[in-house]
Amino acid sequence: MRLTHLKSRVFGSGGMIFAAVAPVLTILVAFPLLFVVLQAIFPDIARGIFANPFSRFVETLFDKHLIAWTLNTLMLGGSVVLVSSLVAVPLGILRGLFRVPFAGLWDVVFLVPFTIPPYIAALGWIMALQPRGYLEQITGLNFGGFLFSFWGVVFVMTLNVFPVVYFAVSRMVSSIGGRYLEAARVAGCPPMRSFWRITLPLTTPAIAASLLLVFAMSIEEFGTPAALAARSGFLVLVTGIEQRLSDYPIDLPGASLLSVILVLIAMAAFVLQHRIVSRRDFQTVSGKPGANRAAELGVWRIPVVMFFAIIGFLGAVMPILSVVLTASTRTISGGLTADNFSTENFAEIFANSGGAMEALGTSLSLGLGAAVITGILGTMTAYVVVRQRTVSSRILDFLTLMPNTIPGVVVAVGLILAWNQPWLPVTPYNTIGVLVLAYCCLLLPYPVRYANAALRQVSVSLEDAARVAGAGGIKVFFRILMPLIFPSILAAMLLVFAVAARELVATILLAPIGTKTVALFIWRQFEQGSVGMGMAMSVMAIAITMTIPVAVAIWARKQGRLF
Amino acid sequence: MISAENSAGQTGSPVVVTGTSQRFGRNTVLEAIDLAVAPGEVVALLGPSGCGKTTLLRLLAGLSRPTTGSIHIGDQLVADASSGAFVPPERRSIGMVFQDYALWPHMTVAQNVGFPLEMQNIGRAERDARIAEALGMVGLGHVADRQPGTLSGGQQQRVALARAIVSRPRLVLFDEPLSNLDRELRESLVVDIAALLRKLGMTAVYVTHDHGEAFAIADRVAILHSGHILQIDAPEQLVGKPVSPQVVDFLKLGLVLPAEVQNGDLIIRGGKHRLSPPAGLINGSRSGDLFLPRSALRAASADGGAQKGNAISGTVVHSMFRGDGYAVQMRFDQNIAIEMFSATRLGDGTIHDLDISWDRAFWYPHDAAPALSHT
Ligand SMILES: Nc1ncnc2c1ncn2[C@@H]1O[C@H](COP(=O)(O)OP(=O)(O)O)[C@@H](O)[C@H]1O
Ligand SMILES: [Mg+2]
Repeated sequence: MRLTHLKSRVFGSGGMIFAAVAPVLTILVAFPLLFVVLQAIFPDIARGIFANPFSRFVETLFDKHLIAWTLNTLMLGGSVVLVSSLVAVPLGILRGLFRVPFAGLWDVVFLVPFTIPPYIAALGWIMALQPRGYLEQITGLNFGGFLFSFWGVVFVMTLNVFPVVYFAVSRMVSSIGGRYLEAARVAGCPPMRSFWRITLPLTTPAIAASLLLVFAMSIEEFGTPAALAARSGFLVLVTGIEQRLSDYPIDLPGASLLSVILVLIAMAAFVLQHRIVSRRDFQTVSGKPGANRAAELGVWRIPVVMFFAIIGFLGAVMPILSVVLTASTRTISGGLTADNFSTENFAEIFANSGGAMEALGTSLSLGLGAAVITGILGTMTAYVVVRQRTVSSRILDFLTLMPNTIPGVVVAVGLILAWNQPWLPVTPYNTIGVLVLAYCCLLLPYPVRYANAALRQVSVSLEDAARVAGAGGIKVFFRILMPLIFPSILAAMLLVFAVAARELVATILLAPIGTKTVALFIWRQFEQGSVGMGMAMSVMAIAITMTIPVAVAIWARKQGRLF
Repeated sequence: MISAENSAGQTGSPVVVTGTSQRFGRNTVLEAIDLAVAPGEVVALLGPSGCGKTTLLRLLAGLSRPTTGSIHIGDQLVADASSGAFVPPERRSIGMVFQDYALWPHMTVAQNVGFPLEMQNIGRAERDARIAEALGMVGLGHVADRQPGTLSGGQQQRVALARAIVSRPRLVLFDEPLSNLDRELRESLVVDIAALLRKLGMTAVYVTHDHGEAFAIADRVAILHSGHILQIDAPEQLVGKPVSPQVVDFLKLGLVLPAEVQNGDLIIRGGKHRLSPPAGLINGSRSGDLFLPRSALRAASADGGAQKGNAISGTVVHSMFRGDGYAVQMRFDQNIAIEMFSATRLGDGTIHDLDISWDRAFWYPHDAAPALSHT
């Protein structure tokens, strides 16, 4: 009954949207990922031949690098999770339970790491901690040995991802603060005991879910381990895949198998995370924010503020400061002296030295293109998924959300394999179009999720009322639905724009020769040792990516959600 | 900590609130409240939203501290603003039922109910027996092992009730416990709660904004209005002898007409009506509020009453069929309106006289001492 009722809604039937969206999603998502799997099995698939399946499988599987890199990946992910939980769980609990001085400021400060592309943060830390870097110039201390080690990678990556845990935990803790705790107090439970018996158990799913997200983010990260540890020979799966594809002889089957392993690990993390988040008690809690009466910190005020300030300084201020200093000085060795400061690096950027302005223009257009395409696709898919609960709509849902679990490097591998097939009549490979495909595939989940959430808020009766009032399907869509859900979709599109405009690893692997983007520009400048201009470009990238997501966050918060 | 009567488990403790105020910044939410609740008594706090009911309840629970005044539960001084004495909620041995249930989602129903006993370090065997007993009392013995989220709203509130009484607290507090439920459920649950409290002899303070609920559950009802207790009395007394026009107004008991006294007659403000009350009613005051309970007003059978000063005429706004007659909304001067019962339909917009039975009228003088005069 419900289905027939639903079927005749916008566009006559959602079948039309489905027919339009399904092939696009297949090409965008399914096609490249399929080839990753095929390549891992058929070594000669790149020539379009399905011969000798598994012939190189065992050989590749027992490659000693593969095992080492997999272990390194797990170790890195695990360590980032561990350190993040040590830092962010206490921060989040303090923020949720107590009246922390400058609480609003810390929330903004901890949003900043989201806006710094990790590879730029890593480069910033290099400038600060390397031998004769800023720290040594100022204090004489040299942490170079630490930074270029495994724990240095963990340190920098933790500072980039811990806010995920901080925000999840603080929101959860403050939403259970109110009634549940009061009920416990009235039932005779002292404050410390209620923390262990009520707050912590209720927060555990949020902590676990956010830590799994951190794990997934860490094992997908390319820039930080590549910048800090690759030279000392510490490789993880992502950097290993990149190496297989850029060092001769190029090893496609190896890269694919590594990709499959990476995807399996990432998927395991996401599946686990999804299980936790969709558990009943998790939803009961997060759905009911109570009037929270935050407790006073008393004598702990100062230590707590120090804790927040130190983490805020390390996570948000330090990398940006270091980047800005490098960008606005002539040479690092010249130090922080007045005559070393100059706007030379920025002047060179604006003079299009090294193609800087082209890179900027390319990145902005790519970001815009990806935002528009994913925005439209995401809205259409979400409409089919939310309004029609059929099997085919569930397939679409799966296709659009799957890239969430697929690391950027794997999407790149898939695109290389798929679009180099000899039987293809046309291919975007070796054009800038393949970058658009990569960004769209990677970032499609954002608009889908945002549009999904927004559409669920729109009651079906709002559409029905418009139909009764005489509006046709298309009119209903543009006059009723779009105005209601557009703010969410625009927010998602801005996010897509910001992330696409600075994407690194897929760009390195896919960009046609001669094409420059912001990320490539920075990366190459760094590799060539001319850090000043790279950092000047980084300042501009941060400025772009900081203003946009902060605006989105403020806007989204006005609408009652954080991201 | 546990008082004698509590460990006996039979009667609740008396509660005495003395001169208690609560201020948030410059906003005075409660002003010098005095309230005494006898052991085993159920007092309802009735008042419009925002009048400070929850604030008073939180003071009793120890979830906040009073700005002035003191609170005793049993022999224990649990809060005293002048000396700073304060007993936190977990050491007050009370029970509380919240509007949004506040059942802990990570515990089963039985674990929720058993939690207060666990806090008192009561052994597993006794605990299980008392959990079963409490759940039995609210008719939910069969859901002990379920998660609270899987229960209906009414069932969840019953579990919350079981949790509040399981440790036989000295005092049980209710904060609009039924306002999230539909009317039918509300009416049956309020009866159940009342019976349970009487059976256990518990002292209870029950906050609500619903007259029916307050009258159904309470021995005495306190009318709270912008931080003051206007009147505290048994329901019958409250309706029969309201002490002020505000009480009448809040309980919607009838017409309140501001009036001036002229030569023994009452000139209703607005000037359209001149009423001639019997000599004893006014008692020498010059102006005041005339209260005519609904029972003192009857649609006049014939015209002419208004001339003699024993009737008041109003315009029918609307007549609504109510099965056994008509609910009629009538409007008088100055937007004073009343909803009353009539056996026949009165046409919309028509003017009707209402005869006044003076023996049921009240007069609240403005100038004289606030003595209630009643013929
Ligand atoms: N912690 C607080 N801080 C400031 N004002 C408060 C606080 N708690 C309650 N109030 C104010 O006190 C008044 C009474 O609130 P409350 O006791 O909740 O009313 P109700 O009778 O509806 O339960 C309201 O105006 C409310 O805004
Ligand atoms: Mg209230």
